[in-house]
Amino acid sequence: MHILQTIVNYMLSLGAAVFVPLIMLVIGLIIKMKFSEAFSAALTLGIAFTGMNLVITFMMGSIGPAAQSMAQNTGITLTAIDGGWPGMASISWAWPYAFLMFPLTIGINIIMIMLNWTKTLNVDMWNVWNKIFTAVIVSYISGSVVMGFVAAAIQIILELKIGDAWGPQVEKLTGIPGVTVPHFVTLIAVMLYPINKLMDKIPYLNKQLDADYLKEKIGIFGENHVMGAIIGFALGLAGGYSISGALTLAVQAAAAMTLFPMVSKLFAQALSPICDGVSEFMRAKFGGKEVFIGLDWPILAGRNELWVAVIITIPVLIVFSIILPGNAVLPFAGIINLSFVIGALLLTGANLLRMIIMGVITAPVFLYAATYFAPHITKLATSTGVVAVKKGMMLTWSTFEGPDFRYIFAKAASGSILFIVAAIAWLGLFFLLYKDTVKKGKLNE
Amino acid sequence: MAKIIVACGSGVATSQAVASKITKLLKQRKINAEVEAVDIKSLKTYIKNADVYVSIIRTKEVYSIPVVDGVAFLTGMGQEKELEKIINAVNAANDKK
Repeated sequence: MHILQTIVNYMLSLGAAVFVPLIMLVIGLIIKMKFSEAFSAALTLGIAFTGMNLVITFMMGSIGPAAQSMAQNTGITLTAIDGGWPGMASISWAWPYAFLMFPLTIGINIIMIMLNWTKTLNVDMWNVWNKIFTAVIVSYISGSVVMGFVAAAIQIILELKIGDAWGPQVEKLTGIPGVTVPHFVTLIAVMLYPINKLMDKIPYLNKQLDADYLKEKIGIFGENHVMGAIIGFALGLAGGYSISGALTLAVQAAAAMTLFPMVSKLFAQALSPICDGVSEFMRAKFGGKEVFIGLDWPILAGRNELWVAVIITIPVLIVFSIILPGNAVLPFAGIINLSFVIGALLLTGANLLRMIIMGVITAPVFLYAATYFAPHITKLATSTGVVAVKKGMMLTWSTFEGPDFRYIFAKAASGSILFIVAAIAWLGLFFLLYKDTVKKGKLNE
Repeated sequence: MAKIIVACGSGVATSQAVASKITKLLKQRKINAEVEAVDIKSLKTYIKNADVYVSIIRTKEVYSIPVVDGVAFLTGMGQEKELEKIINAVNAANDKK
């Protein structure tokens, strides 16, 4: 027993970039991958962690001082730097218990399909990281890893059920039958549901606005590097930099924004063989049954309304981050707030005006959640050795998915009666959303 | 070498999953092509240098290069047909060069 503990401790001390690839190699060999493929994937994973560390450190080193300077100049303290979802995914994969989420996700899905409790077969294995992130956050705040897994299990079940409900809507929006988006990010619809119902009462909000025209106009501003440059330049000026200083920061920020997705691709590349193998397995066993194949949200990305709404909310997020009292997050890598727009798209059926309003209403929620979780995320980043966060700065994600769910359930798992009640209320609201969406889906057939 | 691009929301997970799949399938048939996952916001830039565009979304737009349905590689349904389209386009592109 002691020997086992020594071995595990040694491996943990190796740090994420070595430890996790080792686990990946073992898993790859267990599922009978060729050694060369498993080795390549494992090494790529290590590179992904190292690369991510590089970019985050660079970003903190360039944006960080500007944010602090801005704090001194204007009295606005935004010391939690937004590493976006790539940063969070990286941290999640580094959690020692991360890989247990694969069997949990697959197991629950298979059991639910066999019991006919769901029609959704979720082959999107990449987003397992989303469950890991929830488990990590909840276990940190409540102090119990078991509660973390309980929260993740609840999330998995909710994702599958909402996947069942979204199916017809996804077909309506994309023209693709038989698929759905059982993605955690769509659960913001629970919070948006009462707001949407209220909007039904306002006649003007029942019209559709034309998205194509707007998207043409917005075009280049939606590109990562352009946005990064604009934010960097603005931040430089706000931090009292000279024009040349602000321009330098603009390019550095653009670099960080461009490099983030590039490094994240390495994660996808490394995990791809495992995800693929699992998807094949799920399809082979259940392909015959009438199922919705659960995919990642990008199949919805063809809807221009999504991009227009998201881009319009960018300045909203920035303004809120400055004026909201107690907010500590500087929106950066997470500034494209996909975490409200996908749920809003599905809930409103691509009603652009409603989506924009929802973006504005939810912005404060995201910022406050990001502020609240920043210390925990920072601790996780430094303790797994994924990223070195400088003193006085924190790492977070300005628009992480399911802020309401994660906050309520993390507090509930810590034993707060108030939040246990809130969790039950949230689940009640989920149930109403589910029923309503299924009903609307049947009407459309 | 012929170039295939796959685009999704961020150019990271979904498009990479499809790109890896296509790469593997092409390798099995000994076909040489470059497959890259890109971010849909920058599609117009990448499409200039590509020979095939594998799309995850149903789009109304028409491009000067063949467009193939990428969802088939995620669901497994109709995958063979789309793969054939890619192979034809790759061969056509290689012949031109």
